[in-house]
Amino acid sequence: MLFVCLLLACGGEARTGLVYYETYDPRSLDPALSTDVPTGEMVTLLFDGLTQFDPDGRLLPGLADRWTAERGGQRYVFHLRPGVKFHDGRPLVAADVKRSFVRVLDPATRGGRVWPLQPIQGGAAGIDVLGDTAVAFTLTEPLAVFPKFLAMPVAAVVPVPVPADFGQRPVGSGPWRFAAWRHDDELKFSRNPDYWGGAPVAESLTVRIIPEPFTRGAEFLAGRLSVAEIPFGETAKWEQEHPAWLQRKPALRAIYVALNNRRGPLRDTRVRQAINHAVNVPEILRTVWNGRGIAARGAIPPSLGGGDTTRAGYAYDTVTARRLLAQAGYANGFAIQLWRSGTNVEQGRVAQAIQAQLAAVGVRVEMVARDASSMREAARKGEADMAMLDWWADYPDGDNFLYPLFHSASFGPGGNYAFYSDPVTDSLIMVARRTTDDAAREALYHRIDGRVYEAAPWLYLWFPVDLWAEHPSITGWEIPVIFNGQRWTKAHAAVRR
Amino acid sequence: MLQFVGKRLLATIPTLFGVLVVAFLLLNVVPGDPVAEMVGERADSATIARLRAELRLDDPLPVQFGHYLWGVVRGDLGNSYITQRPVLGDLAERFPKTLQLAGAAMLLAVSLGITLGVIAAVRPHGAVDRFSMLLAYVGVSFPVYWVGLLLILLFAVTLRWLPPSGYGGIAFLVLPALTLGTRSIAFLARMTRGAMIDVLSSDFVRTARAKGLSEMRVIGRHAFRNALLPVITVLGLDVGNYLTGSILTETIFSWPGVGRYVLQAIEKRDLPAVQGSILFLSVVFVLVNLITDLLYAKADPRVAYD
Repeated sequence: MLFVCLLLACGGEARTGLVYYETYDPRSLDPALSTDVPTGEMVTLLFDGLTQFDPDGRLLPGLADRWTAERGGQRYVFHLRPGVKFHDGRPLVAADVKRSFVRVLDPATRGGRVWPLQPIQGGAAGIDVLGDTAVAFTLTEPLAVFPKFLAMPVAAVVPVPVPADFGQRPVGSGPWRFAAWRHDDELKFSRNPDYWGGAPVAESLTVRIIPEPFTRGAEFLAGRLSVAEIPFGETAKWEQEHPAWLQRKPALRAIYVALNNRRGPLRDTRVRQAINHAVNVPEILRTVWNGRGIAARGAIPPSLGGGDTTRAGYAYDTVTARRLLAQAGYANGFAIQLWRSGTNVEQGRVAQAIQAQLAAVGVRVEMVARDASSMREAARKGEADMAMLDWWADYPDGDNFLYPLFHSASFGPGGNYAFYSDPVTDSLIMVARRTTDDAAREALYHRIDGRVYEAAPWLYLWFPVDLWAEHPSITGWEIPVIFNGQRWTKAHAAVRR
Repeated sequence: MLQFVGKRLLATIPTLFGVLVVAFLLLNVVPGDPVAEMVGERADSATIARLRAELRLDDPLPVQFGHYLWGVVRGDLGNSYITQRPVLGDLAERFPKTLQLAGAAMLLAVSLGITLGVIAAVRPHGAVDRFSMLLAYVGVSFPVYWVGLLLILLFAVTLRWLPPSGYGGIAFLVLPALTLGTRSIAFLARMTRGAMIDVLSSDFVRTARAKGLSEMRVIGRHAFRNALLPVITVLGLDVGNYLTGSILTETIFSWPGVGRYVLQAIEKRDLPAVQGSILFLSVVFVLVNLITDLLYAKADPRVAYD
């Protein structure tokens, strides 16, 4: 406690506003270019979409205060809340929604990450502006999760036409106004006093760019950051030294090893099942990952509808593993490559543990450590036997852990790095996407996830639990389960004496 | 003199061309897809193919290189794939900050390193010599990264005298400059000591002493000036270390300079940004070498370029 007082009293360097951080400079502040997390988080502060997420990942109204699904989820009508203005005072109308989406879909924008808007039939043709207050979307096929897609930063509404330097000096309608951006150093935002959703409590928000996790921890301890994520490797230290500052929450994130279903021995389901039996996941989770995770028995995290960590799993059992390998014709094992990102130390340790345990059943793993970009390229092209991967949710819905990861249309760049292909799974996923009833859809997710699990396209590992330190002067902040679920409107730093 | 400078500048053109060719080839050999990095996860193949075509990444390599070279000749380093901003502008924004850091580190290295070296040389094998050479030995051996972390722990977290990282006033400059300068301080101290000991045993120093000059004057004027030549060489060579060392130092200290820009660009396979940075840093390096050569003439009248 004494230390906390010292921290508050002597932190002469500390600022009074809120201070957050990103690990690298955002690409741009233009929603159309939001392809990575830093850009997406900054866009979420400045702009609004038709819908939005709260920190727990619940879908909330955004610029649209209500919406209706028609024709079994093939057409959606969104009604805009009245009186919303851009930061420059211009009123936001339904035509702005259409112009924003058309701009994102225009190849000249060179954004790239347009998938949230691709379900709209014929692009611009599928968007109907109904007066100033409503907009309707006709989709190529029914899509129950479409309202969640519209909470993605790329679907934010911008005042089109925008000037050429819009990405550097953005004008949005969100809770924070752009104030300044010094590249690789910091971004500054000031509160939007007229925000429709209630103006932020704090006066200002600074986002510093801090690439090194160690430095981030030091900055936090020096009282110069409001919150900081704790790296997995430092869990025990922080739990011991500063337990009162910590918050934890299960993340919508899956750590797994993609087993390339089209390569060598991995083509055989029994081999993939054997690998799942041969690795003692709970033990690796406890020792290497500091216990910060929930062992996975499927790809959907348990906090999402359809997720299940209680289904009968692949128990750690080397005898079964050896028997399955023998049945598949590999009684003497085989050699195989495991690709991992050389810069990710935590995943590296996990990969080493897996290597050691697979050796015990005769699977000789050759580790291939490359930089993240090269490793992803190999996995994307299907040139990696096994790849150590990490999937972050784009939107909080079981669909995000099924369609990109296991549908055959998502091979490679789409997210299906295991190249898992099963016509029944494909069609069940499409049925689920069309099912507008949430309970029925989630029941389907559960069934699909279980079906895929049996085929073992992955070595299933765990769903990480996020751990953050929060400065004692901060109130009203909680860990977002999804990157765009924290808009910093309720957070506030106590005034120092 | 001017003629010499002109000739040297002309001679840099083939050097820079070579740098460009090598950089271009290496970047094209390295695995990793720039467009995939640009569009992020979950991109569709059609978008990737369209962007590859727009960025001319499917053209034959010589065509791509010719296109790039033509831009460089016109003073256009292209736009970053990731941010879509001009690379030259990005570099112009960051280079002064790298220069500031390198300058501060060099100032520390020169003042501390040379002083330590001279003091050590005055009484070789004395206590001061042993201590400063131990210090120098340690400084040369420790990795930059580790020195940086230790400095942050001590001065920012435990003592709270200085901010851990970031860009701002002098307070922000001290730790990164010390980190970047450590190796140089240590190296210069050892170099200076060696050169001074050589010079101090030479005839003209004995003559200076014999004619009754004060020890201060003997060391400061007669010996030191002669010992300076190898020191300048080392300093010039060290500039390369400052530029590459800045990658680590800037990352640890969240310093918004060119080093971090290059690192980020490499990770993201941002080809124009990497190529532009390499070219830019090569130009700086070549210029620094030229300045070093000119300083020789200044320090030693025996060296002349006419």
